[in-house]
Amino acid sequence: MSEQLTSGTGTSMIGGTEARSSRSILVLLMPIAMVGVALALVPLWLSDSRVLMGVAVLGLTFICYTIGFNVIFGSTGQLFLCVGALAGVGGFGAAILADNVGWPIVVSILVATFAATLTGGLLSYVAVRRSLGVIFTGIVTLIFSLSFDALLLGLSHLTGGDTGRSIHSGADTFLRAQVPPYYLMLALVLFFLLIHALLRRSHIGWAFRALRDDEVAAELAGVDVARYRVYGALIGAAMLGLAGSTYAFTEGRISPTTFGFGEVDVVVLVMLAFGGIGTLFGPIVGAITFTIIDEVLIDFGQLRQVAYGILIIVLFLWMPRGLIPTVASIWRRVRRLVEVKE
Amino acid sequence: MLNLGYGQIAVTSAIAVALAMEAGIPILPAAALGLLIGGLFGLFLDLTILRPVYRLRGEARVLLSLLLTLGVSFIVDGFLNWRFPLKTLNLHIGGGAVEILGVPMRRGSLVASAITLATFAGLFVFFGRTSLGRAIRSVIEDEEGARLIGIDPKKMLRLILVLSGVLAALVAVTRSMVAPVDTKSGLSITVFALIVTVVGGLGNVVGALLAGIILGIVNVIAADFIGSYISLIILLVAAAVTILIRPAGLLGVKE
Repeated sequence: MSEQLTSGTGTSMIGGTEARSSRSILVLLMPIAMVGVALALVPLWLSDSRVLMGVAVLGLTFICYTIGFNVIFGSTGQLFLCVGALAGVGGFGAAILADNVGWPIVVSILVATFAATLTGGLLSYVAVRRSLGVIFTGIVTLIFSLSFDALLLGLSHLTGGDTGRSIHSGADTFLRAQVPPYYLMLALVLFFLLIHALLRRSHIGWAFRALRDDEVAAELAGVDVARYRVYGALIGAAMLGLAGSTYAFTEGRISPTTFGFGEVDVVVLVMLAFGGIGTLFGPIVGAITFTIIDEVLIDFGQLRQVAYGILIIVLFLWMPRGLIPTVASIWRRVRRLVEVKE
Repeated sequence: MLNLGYGQIAVTSAIAVALAMEAGIPILPAAALGLLIGGLFGLFLDLTILRPVYRLRGEARVLLSLLLTLGVSFIVDGFLNWRFPLKTLNLHIGGGAVEILGVPMRRGSLVASAITLATFAGLFVFFGRTSLGRAIRSVIEDEEGARLIGIDPKKMLRLILVLSGVLAALVAVTRSMVAPVDTKSGLSITVFALIVTVVGGLGNVVGALLAGIILGIVNVIAADFIGSYISLIILLVAAAVTILIRPAGLLGVKE
């Protein structure tokens, strides 16, 4: 799970002078811009169908979730099994602030995002302080997910309980139109990608890589592992909260299953593991692949879940490290063969 | 290694027992059949998708086992919901309530508790007193070290899988004496098994029993005095706090 993808640009950064570093910013921005252009074209052939546009918006939301989870798990090795719950803190928080308290939508989103950020940071702080391993962090955050779910079901006057609630704020704005929400979520995706890319280049990114490769060595080299783990969780949780609250307003209706463990966390984990944990574009590849797979499998009707399970097993037996690292290592092997021939 | 298909093994066995009883097989042979199916399910996982998992170490192994067994749980859930959507296992143990120390208790709960305690005693003796049980524990502790002293880790891992399959089936049978087990119970069984195990301490049988009992008591008390959803939250918070205070488990020794 090391950072195979960056080895190409990474080496140029190590010895990079000022001139080369400005070029490497281009190297950094180009792929993100290409992803942006490619995804911006999607509504051209989907905009006729309200259903498919809804699927596309949800797909982009899952890219956002997966990037946030990648920053937490991929960069700092903390298995946060509360992706849906943190997004739900954002989603339900923003809905309650806007509808029940009457705050403006933007303010509600920002405050709810802040709440999700603090929650994620607090969970990480506790896990780091008690130096919990991967599985234990997973269990504690899973417990948080279940508690949050119980809370949503219990506070039914605010959350609508089992069936969920609708959000009235923003009902007659562009947020509920057919195409604009897509571009709003796409902007979030590109924003998150940019943050993650810049993060990887910064001193925080180096610290992440160091503590991911060898925690003890990083600590000995002077990296404050605990501090950077909490940083990772704060940034990732902020992304989850922002994506969750924005999605809530574009959807107009949220329920516990919108942010459920089985509906979000499990899916996000599969998406990230398939794309490639810790890679920059893994979340994009994984989330798009599984969004499409999910749509295609609708034809299987009742056997959809079975087909989904078989597919997961086949894909992970075939590429246990994920698509991007596998392709990258094949690419390196091919290049080496070509060099040998020359 | 983390088996997310654990609850689905239990549910599969429960459905098998229910089907067997519908076919007119008496309860004891039907339950035995359920245990057999649970064990075979574990064996099947070991022989098929877990092969590549065993080749990995550490975090990579946890992650791959988690993803592959997740796939298995989807397949089982999907298949059972498609084939037997409304099937539930609900074992009625005859007779009314029994009074113990002046407290009326349902006979089903008593039988379930007795079976659980007997199983626990059996596991305790097995892991603590027999050489096979000790061999299993040594593999759990340190696979390389176990191999060096002549224990075949692969055989032990297979045994663990079969044993956990049988235990999952037993959970399904005892649980169904108290509440119905249906095709959607899988995930919640897995999640609660996971939480209780971690609270009790990984690989610690006594700890798991203690954790189960304590969390059960917390749950009942909380449900009795406060509303039900808050009681669930209290239960979960109690579990989280235990993990945070004693990461090695209730009875665990800090390394």
